[in-house]
Amino acid sequence: MNKFAQLGADIAKLWTKYSGAYISGIENTLILALIGTVIGCLIGFICGVLNTIPYSRSDHPVKRFFLKLIRVIIRIYVEVFRGTPMVLQAVFLFYGLPYFTDNAVKFTSVWAAAIVVVSINTGAYMAESVRGGIISVDPGQTEGAKAIGMTHVQTMTSVILPQALRNIMPQIGNNFIINVKDTSVMFIIGFPDFFAAHRATVGASYLYFPSATVEMVGYLTMTLLASFLLRWVEKRLDGAGSYELVQTDQLTMTAGTYNHPDRGTPFDERSKEYGQTGKEER
Amino acid sequence: MAEQILQINHLSKSFGSNPVLRDIDFTVSKGDVISIIGASGSGKSTLLRCVNLLETPSSGEILYHGKNVLGRGTNPAEYRAHVGMVFQSFNLFNNMTVLENCVVGQVKVLKRDREAARVHAMEYLEKVGMAPYIKAKPRQISGGQKQRVAIARAMAMDPEVLLFDEPTSALDPEMVGEVLNVMRNLAESGMTMLVVTHEMAFARDVSKQVVYMNNGVICEQGSPAELFGNPQKQETKDFLSRFRG
Repeated sequence: MNKFAQLGADIAKLWTKYSGAYISGIENTLILALIGTVIGCLIGFICGVLNTIPYSRSDHPVKRFFLKLIRVIIRIYVEVFRGTPMVLQAVFLFYGLPYFTDNAVKFTSVWAAAIVVVSINTGAYMAESVRGGIISVDPGQTEGAKAIGMTHVQTMTSVILPQALRNIMPQIGNNFIINVKDTSVMFIIGFPDFFAAHRATVGASYLYFPSATVEMVGYLTMTLLASFLLRWVEKRLDGAGSYELVQTDQLTMTAGTYNHPDRGTPFDERSKEYGQTGKEER
Repeated sequence: MAEQILQINHLSKSFGSNPVLRDIDFTVSKGDVISIIGASGSGKSTLLRCVNLLETPSSGEILYHGKNVLGRGTNPAEYRAHVGMVFQSFNLFNNMTVLENCVVGQVKVLKRDREAARVHAMEYLEKVGMAPYIKAKPRQISGGQKQRVAIARAMAMDPEVLLFDEPTSALDPEMVGEVLNVMRNLAESGMTMLVVTHEMAFARDVSKQVVYMNNGVICEQGSPAELFGNPQKQETKDFLSRFRG
């Protein structure tokens, strides 16, 4: 038991001394994960939409060529960034640019570099999710929209993407949670995130395990809060489970539910007998 | 002679090497109510979908007020705005309420003012008896109600022709009547309608012209009295006798 007491005391010691570093680390992690996820989703949506533009044999060859080219480019982008570790991508970009351009082009802030890497990475994952989300929307929705004269863009923005967004909401949440954790690799280019705070504090205090405990609890709290928030957003997107009837007139409730009697029967309004006998009975 | 809206000339459609429609000719004039009947697989729905350009015909032409909509330089979206369509599977926008479903096309496609579009949509929603349900989402209402909303949505666009692709086939029997009533009222108000249907009573009582399709061709057409009362071709007789039971 006294090991736990020891751990508690060590954490307290760490917290009193370095709480500022931890808290600003948490802030930076959350901001980076949020911005990265949002921009990544935008990239994913753009790729997903470009990827699903329909074309047929009867289209102009130039249009078909460009659409195919776009698909190939997106495919390469997705495979490369999904298939390499983010930690290497960060190094590649952050040190590669000045290496090739003799320091002419480089990231002046680690923030910019980190945001670019996380966004591009998320975008690669989201591109596929968005494509799946768009495909999973019933084709009848597209036909319904086309039938009232909507263009491809209008169909996408008004009908398909809102439904695709709802379908991939769990994926977006997933990516956000992954980003909260995986931005920890950005310490490699000197980004001051939550994990970087751990490295800094243990460098000064040598309290490896207590600091790691703080990190564990910190990350878990962030991700749990995020999942909770996402569930709530999903519920909001689904809208109310019930609806209100808008009653303007008592009779409207029954309108349209009335069946016309067969022609020629005494209850048919069109028949001559209707006026004489039908009315009193009803 | 009423003004001609659509003229279909030598329309053919094949899926791969399989011909579905062969050399179809017919015209739709203002105020026509045409029922297209025939066995499943005879090409009725494909014909309707070709008329709305949801399928691209393999050959032939579709003249809309004398202008071929299959030619280069024509805008399918613009044409479709004048030709409404009601689907078997309703195809209401699931992410919108009943009212939004009827407003969105008017605002986005016809560039109407949102308030004016709302008033216009309400007019038709009241006609189909769905005004109390404007706040509901499509998943919360019944099939018959969905189809009535779909009709209101199409009508709110003020189309010149309204196409119905088996509008009651996906409905439970007790809901068929409410949709047919709405369609009957539309026909009586002078709407130009092209209806693919299995409802023989509707074809007989409401439509002014009946087209019987068989194997991708128009086998016989004429007034309901002629076609149901005195069919000329053997195929038509066989088909109708199956319905009389």
